[in-house]
Amino acid sequence: MSKNESISEKEVEPVPQFMNEPMLEMYIFETTQMIEQLEQAILISEKGGFYEETSINEIFRFMHTIKGSSAMMLYNDIATLAHSMEDVFYFLREAKPTLVDYSQLSDIVFEGVDFIKVELIKIKNGDSADGDASGLIEKIKEFMTFLKSENPSGQSIESKKPETQQKYYIAPEKKITYDAKNFYKAVVYFEEGCEMESIRAYTIIHNLTELAEELFSIPEVGSGSDSDSELIKENGFKIYVRTNLSYEKIESFLQDTIFLKELKLEEISDEETFLSFKQTEGTNFEENEIKLPQVLENRISKEPINKEQIWKEVGNNAPQSVISVSVDKLDKLMDLVGEMVISEAMVTQNPDLVELELENFTKAARLLHKITSEIQDTVMSIRMVPLSTTFMKMQRIMRDMCKKLEREVELQLIGEETEVDKNIIEHIADPLMHLIRNAVDHGIEENEERIEKGKDRVGTVTLEAKNSGSDVLVIVRDDGKGLDKERILTKAIKAGLVDETTVLTDREIYNLILLPGFSTNENITEFSGRGVGMDVVSKNLQLVGGTILVDSTFGEGTCMTMKIPLTLAIIDGMNVKVGGSCYTIPITAIKQSFRPKAGECFTDPDGNEMIMVRGNCYPIIRLHKYFEVQTVVKEFHEGVLIMVEQDARMICLFADELIGQQQVVVKALPNFIKQTKNIQSLSGCTLLGDGSISLIIDIGGLTQYRTSK
Amino acid sequence: MKKVLIVDDAAFMRLTIKTVLEHNNFEIVGEAENGRVAFEKYKMLQPDVVTMDITMPEMSGIDALKIIRQYDSNAKIVMISAMGQEMLVREAIVNGAASFIVKPFKEEQIIYTIKKVVGE
Repeated sequence: MSKNESISEKEVEPVPQFMNEPMLEMYIFETTQMIEQLEQAILISEKGGFYEETSINEIFRFMHTIKGSSAMMLYNDIATLAHSMEDVFYFLREAKPTLVDYSQLSDIVFEGVDFIKVELIKIKNGDSADGDASGLIEKIKEFMTFLKSENPSGQSIESKKPETQQKYYIAPEKKITYDAKNFYKAVVYFEEGCEMESIRAYTIIHNLTELAEELFSIPEVGSGSDSDSELIKENGFKIYVRTNLSYEKIESFLQDTIFLKELKLEEISDEETFLSFKQTEGTNFEENEIKLPQVLENRISKEPINKEQIWKEVGNNAPQSVISVSVDKLDKLMDLVGEMVISEAMVTQNPDLVELELENFTKAARLLHKITSEIQDTVMSIRMVPLSTTFMKMQRIMRDMCKKLEREVELQLIGEETEVDKNIIEHIADPLMHLIRNAVDHGIEENEERIEKGKDRVGTVTLEAKNSGSDVLVIVRDDGKGLDKERILTKAIKAGLVDETTVLTDREIYNLILLPGFSTNENITEFSGRGVGMDVVSKNLQLVGGTILVDSTFGEGTCMTMKIPLTLAIIDGMNVKVGGSCYTIPITAIKQSFRPKAGECFTDPDGNEMIMVRGNCYPIIRLHKYFEVQTVVKEFHEGVLIMVEQDARMICLFADELIGQQQVVVKALPNFIKQTKNIQSLSGCTLLGDGSISLIIDIGGLTQYRTSK
Repeated sequence: MKKVLIVDDAAFMRLTIKTVLEHNNFEIVGEAENGRVAFEKYKMLQPDVVTMDITMPEMSGIDALKIIRQYDSNAKIVMISAMGQEMLVREAIVNGAASFIVKPFKEEQIIYTIKKVVGE
């Protein structure tokens, strides 16, 4: 009898002591990713009205992994929830039931997915994941019970499993003569919390087989049942051995058991006592006799594995070609590339070099420029992510809405492979969701109403993405009732957003819905119409330098176009000089630049300066006045006018002179400046080649300023 | 330092196991996300011990265990099982898995098991 060395009895901490920041990050990242893939798998399956075997397998595996990871992180509700869903898909996979309410299944799984999503957000924000999933788990269990009762054939899987396993045991031989003379009784206790005690016990039996002539145990293990584990936990695992080995040998063998807490080994003096144990401890000799596991070789010869073939297959496995990189690193890389672009400009446009004949230098500088722009393009492309995941999310939203509103609407996706900078994608998901909800809730009519109007019964919402220059257009189009101009106008006047006397173009009227505090729908639904709506969309877009255009035909539908820059970090800019300062205008906004003749500009009765170009009248903004900069150039014909456009509004900016075109890296303005100065029309600043700072003009801000004046 | 190959389809689990083992003076020579890759890496890296997840795409941990043990009958493989996979673990034991641990595990449990398996 001896006491075994045990693993260090450390206090179990509430949070695994080895958990650290990167692990938590990885957990959130991976689980989020799996949840997304899972959603897609379900959406696709639901569309087909049937869950393919591959989808079931996939969903099962996702749930299984989420369960494992969450349990490691001690997020028990998520783990239990994932476990219950895993069980459902295990049943679907193994029993292949025929009567399944797939729509209900999707609902349940989506509900579960949503729960996990919410918890993940909490975890991400550093809050505790305190959601209660018990109701949901109960629901899943009910579904499972119902599923089983509907498909009784499936129940056989539980009993099927062990049956196939039994094959590897040899039945107790009838009458064998044993010649080993040593008998032992061992009681093995396992460490608490080591889990699967019955399988641990089985491992002992499996390994002991080679050393023993006769062997039986209480309980008889092998079926891996929980009751066996419970029994072992309570009374220990009792083994009776007939062997040729000495006490020391057997002891050292058993001492080697993993997670052994305590071992009681005693020698049984003679065969009779040994056999009497069989009878007293066990109820039935034959039944209690442990069936010896067959040796490994037998099993292999039964199911020959074609080594050659497997190894060949395995050999074909291509090395991993995709790696995941943290966004932080990419941000850093992007910053560095930005710095490099600036430094390149600092070298090649160095004031020391001005007016020098430097043929070789110029050549080398050109090469450098070529490479830097290639690096820049590559780094940008690394950060590009297709919109497809975001679009997929919209499918989910659409599905939920249609179910709730009992309205059939089809979502068409066009150009979901269009790529946008990672940072931007995060900012457009919310606005996009809002637009989709608006389209379904306010845009598309009830199915019956559509028939009356002579439209297709099922409404269509089209979600389209396409490239247009350095912008990406994301268009949400519906074939619903369209916007009611009169109603918008009345509402806007009532809300004091516009003057009754103002004459507005159609487009300007539509754009009124983007103003804060505007909502035409009196009936507030669950999905939209709480008065904060389109203005939030437009604000969110402005954060990433995007804009939204509204267009509509009454009775035929509405089209919302979001214009989003491909990337935020580096833009093509035109540098202009105003007094001693330098400003940068995004090239994409510039229509033309010209020097007007003296007297070409005029002033309207309100004192606004204008210029007529090709029969159209454009307001002029003097940058030196607007930004309050001292300059000597005050006559229009001495400086230069730059015509810029934003949201179909054109204005002319007056500057001293053009310095030249350059790629500039957009840097946010320091908070200090934001606090002390009015920077409404500045979107950031940048460093120029000579080391000076240039302010980047926000054309949208300027055009709005001018129109509102 | 004993060399370990970590096999798991979940990057989170790989990172967790890796962190724990490195913290306890094991050398992580490689990681694999399914059974196929595991076998490839096993041949290449000749680790002292493998931690093997069971449920994985393409090739499960059980099948990987089988072919690795056929290639090297002394291979020491510790199965990483989830709760409720008793029968699969049993199959793994029959097929020569050295031991197993059950998720969620504690740091000392995995270290203890692996140390035992490599005979430390």
